[in-house]
Amino acid sequence: MPIVVYRLLVLGLTTLAVAAPLSLVIYQSFLTAPFFDPSAKFGFAAYSFVFNDSDFWQAFWTTIVIAGGMAVIAVPLGALLAFLMVRTDVPGRNYLEPLILIPIFVSAVVIAFGYVVAIGPVGIFSTLAKDLLGFVPWNLYSLLALIVIAGLTHVPHVYLYSAAALRGLSTDLEEAARVSGANPFRVAVNVSLPMILPAILFAGVLVFFLGFELFGLPLVLGDPQDVLVLSTYLYKLTNKLGVPSYQLMAVVVVAIIAITAPLVFMQRLLLRQAQRYVSVRGKGLKTLPLRLHGWRWFAFGAIVFWLLITVVVPLFGITLRSFVVTWGEGVKLFDVLTLDHYRELTDYPNVIRGILNTLGIGVIGGAVAVACYTAIALAVHRWNSGWTRLVDYLVMVPRAMPGLVAGLALLWVFLFVPFLSPLKSTMVSIWLAYTIVWLAYGMRLVSGTLLQVGPELEEAARTAGANDLSVKRDVTVPLIKYGMLASWLLIFLIFVREYSTGIYLLGPGTEVIGSLLVSLWGTGAVDLVSALSVVNVVMIGVGLAVAVRLGVRLHG
Amino acid sequence: MAELIVKDVALRLGDNEILKGVSLAVPAGEVVALLGPSGSGKTTLLRAVAGLETPHRGSIAIGDRVFFDAARNIDLPAEDRGLGLVFQSYALWPHRTVFDNVAYGLKLRSVSTEEIKTRVEKTLSQIGLGHLAARYPHQLSGGQQQRVAIARALVYEPPVILLDEPLSNLDAKLREEARAWLRTLIVTLGLSAIHVTHDQVEAMAIADKIVLLDTGLIAQEGPPTALYNEPAKLFSAEFMGSNNRLEGKLVENSGGRATIEVMGERLTGLSCTKAAVGEKATGVIRIERIHCASSAGPNRVKMQLKAPMYLGERWELVFARDNITVRAYATAPLEPGDHYVEFPSEALWVF
Repeated sequence: MPIVVYRLLVLGLTTLAVAAPLSLVIYQSFLTAPFFDPSAKFGFAAYSFVFNDSDFWQAFWTTIVIAGGMAVIAVPLGALLAFLMVRTDVPGRNYLEPLILIPIFVSAVVIAFGYVVAIGPVGIFSTLAKDLLGFVPWNLYSLLALIVIAGLTHVPHVYLYSAAALRGLSTDLEEAARVSGANPFRVAVNVSLPMILPAILFAGVLVFFLGFELFGLPLVLGDPQDVLVLSTYLYKLTNKLGVPSYQLMAVVVVAIIAITAPLVFMQRLLLRQAQRYVSVRGKGLKTLPLRLHGWRWFAFGAIVFWLLITVVVPLFGITLRSFVVTWGEGVKLFDVLTLDHYRELTDYPNVIRGILNTLGIGVIGGAVAVACYTAIALAVHRWNSGWTRLVDYLVMVPRAMPGLVAGLALLWVFLFVPFLSPLKSTMVSIWLAYTIVWLAYGMRLVSGTLLQVGPELEEAARTAGANDLSVKRDVTVPLIKYGMLASWLLIFLIFVREYSTGIYLLGPGTEVIGSLLVSLWGTGAVDLVSALSVVNVVMIGVGLAVAVRLGVRLHG
Repeated sequence: MAELIVKDVALRLGDNEILKGVSLAVPAGEVVALLGPSGSGKTTLLRAVAGLETPHRGSIAIGDRVFFDAARNIDLPAEDRGLGLVFQSYALWPHRTVFDNVAYGLKLRSVSTEEIKTRVEKTLSQIGLGHLAARYPHQLSGGQQQRVAIARALVYEPPVILLDEPLSNLDAKLREEARAWLRTLIVTLGLSAIHVTHDQVEAMAIADKIVLLDTGLIAQEGPPTALYNEPAKLFSAEFMGSNNRLEGKLVENSGGRATIEVMGERLTGLSCTKAAVGEKATGVIRIERIHCASSAGPNRVKMQLKAPMYLGERWELVFARDNITVRAYATAPLEPGDHYVEFPSEALWVF
């Protein structure tokens, strides 16, 4: 098979996978009824309904406030955290690094459940506080709490990009400033900060963008207060009119994409800007970390405090909840310890299926997804053609679709295309949705690995007589094997954590832990939810431990 | 084996005109060095021959096998040209042993397993690495890696072997040894080769013919002696050897001799210019051709000794007068002060 055939084939399939869901959504948004309804006609009725719905606008503004608030909290904290971890002598930096990244890898719904059972109105810490103080000094179900929690859980995103920028910064630039007479603080303000500012700016836009993707936190924490954001508004819309209101959902999806798409594009521009300084790397000499003296332990304490609030409180809460029958005023925890919730899990065949499916989608689905990402990356690798630009933009498209939205779009594709419908109630539909949603992320992982293959290694094979496909088979792929393995691990973590993409596809046979958690929470089965959450966290913990053990970089 | 012919090859990378029409011939059994400063297009030309870059004009062929012809729209892919290429970085595949690195080209040619074994072993023993076949590239020293890279390019007996600065990654001492070893190997095996280098000494030592490139054009070509002793242009005169440069005014130019006025004195040398009297001219003379004399005389200039430097096997002396500095070699140091510096007229080129 000539390489051109392979390339065009891959390009065609990718285009189809990306464009089909999107165009179906846009098409549906201009219909007056669901697409399968014979009475559906073209028109703007759906748009006028949604744009005249005060709830929509309420949700829209709430989303903006939350996204903005998140950025305001996460950006300075993340940048400060990066500076402390990369440039100063804070104790225990090596142990803190993987802990800091936990909020990225733990499902947001699990965190949200954790907060409810830990510091909700009847949470364990709330009852404790009430015992001690006589009242609960916080209110979890408020917009402010939602913003603070969302902000704190997104600190690691900012941390990742700022730390990468700080590490990429040539140390001799800072040394030059030191020698010229600047003290460490001035170096940080005058040299380091301006150099990593593009990266921080990028992270800020990223967090703002992630604010629009937020679903688990507002669903769990906002609902009791009727705080709606665009994604939860969309979710509620499912049942709003009693009949499937696909056209209204499509309009909301179009509205969300209309906001996220420019943000994705902006991130792309900013990322290029941010990487401008990274290439000027020094000789890899380690500079002495900045000495904090007495502030060392204060800084350490601050980091631990943040970890306590964002990681320990929710995870401790949900874990404890999964082992007790109940808690409340006057209840001794030792009296109520139980393993019943875990035994109960086995009573529900769909929960068992969900656990197995989640493992399957992580291990097998993850491997197949990495194979697909590699196939695409290899197709454009060293392809001197304008088509590679198309692929660049193509992989960005699903990024603009939050998981919930992409899952919905995929559901419609499976309903719309006759020969696909038998696959709807199999894990194939979930796999396809996951693979498309994480296309940009996976492609970044694989292309990053490919970038490290020196072009002369491939050219050497060509001059030795290998054609394009043999070069890829005999040289390129063997050289990126380790990178592919690392990508598989990261994709495993992401797929096991994922909860929003599978929600609309949830049905008998397509249960995964994430979407089951959301639907079980809706029924109020807190015992089951907490046990299942712990199962999910354990799976991710094992994956993370393997990744750290193998020395996989936890960020692409 | 037939001659490799490159005709009028022009190549652009983006908006950059890298090669502006280069022609050269590599007769069977000869080594041609592509010499030039960085940015002269020498590596690009080599890659165009290998099929890794595509020119927009010209043709490349060995005998009647046409590799590339812009006019006839022929562009044979690199893998079908059957050439051997040794990369500057060696580009040994890190996931393969030495044996497998060398054997790959034969495997692609569907050679039987036994024959692969014999041929790889023969090639490896030719380069003196027979005992390291099972090692991985990272277990070898730089010099050994370089030999493996050469073996990999030689094993399927290409008509021409292309060497892209193969010695530049070795340290100075090793480089001189490797140079002698490579020249011996090339002569013993009777190879045809194109050898890209920016090091004129290496080019002169290894090549039968040097092609000197300057910003995408051939400045001069010929045997090493001709390039060193009969520069056709100021560029070739200055690129080869170590030189003194004297900027002045032409006061006479006839009968193959030219006289320039420098530092208020007149110096006569070989004319390499068609410029008219009164125009600016540049005198170039190799450092080793300058003498110090004890008295005034023709082509001698009184200059002040600024800094004697001890180089081990000789001294280097720096003379100055007005804005001109002149370097010369001597076997013994001179007293500080004024000396007469002689520019022998048969060694002074005027451009």
